[in-house]
Amino acid sequence: MSEPIIRSKKTQREINGIPTEVVCTEFSNYIFVVLTQFGKIGTLVSVTPDSRSNDISTPPFSTKVLLGKDEPMTHVCAKNLAMFVSQEAGNRSVLLGLALKDSSIETIKEMKEVIKSCQVW
Amino acid sequence: MNGADFRGISVHNFSEKILEQVVHFHVMKLDGGFFLWVGSAPVLSNLAVSLNSKYDSMPLSTLVMGDPSETTASSLAQRLAKRTEKQVFVSYSLPMSDSSLSLLVEGRIKKELELHPEHF
Repeated sequence: MSEPIIRSKKTQREINGIPTEVVCTEFSNYIFVVLTQFGKIGTLVSVTPDSRSNDISTPPFSTKVLLGKDEPMTHVCAKNLAMFVSQEAGNRSVLLGLALKDSSIETIKEMKEVIKSCQVW
Repeated sequence: MNGADFRGISVHNFSEKILEQVVHFHVMKLDGGFFLWVGSAPVLSNLAVSLNSKYDSMPLSTLVMGDPSETTASSLAQRLAKRTEKQVFVSYSLPMSDSSLSLLVEGRIKKELELHPEHF
């Protein structure tokens, strides 16, 4: 049995009274972040830094819902939560699993802190 | 599917030398399902998801990321969903052309499912 080649960190915290779990897993090309208040992966979103971002008219990140409800709020939450991960992880793409009961701005801010506490990049 | 006995997400790693190469397995147990990554290098090259349907005896399976012409991940996810009756995510980062390798890999997963069902 050799050492695992996949590094992951997880934590659990109550945010606004709701038990929230975060698991971050590192791959060479992706950071996989599961952020859940249901114990499930929920909606899967990929957040990818745009290689043409020197062009001011294009946004520096693109989001794509791979699985689940594709609504504007999902893209907003995903960008808000994953952009800093991508930047800190040397512009790697982020695969985000989101299953939230509460997606208010205060909650999202706190969730970013929880993700930071599970840093694997 | 919403298990009252669910004790939170857990992670399980194991590895095995198969056909002269070390194959790594990474399992994330979720409520009513699990995520399984298989590979020899830490790359996430595809992702398939499968879940049982009441309309069909075979679980539904689809590739949500990666090359759709490579069917190993989605067929593996489908067979694991059938066996475990759970929602299964599979990422398969090994050479897909090698069917003898994928057969052995699947056998190893089944062995782990029998030995340690609590991790899935």
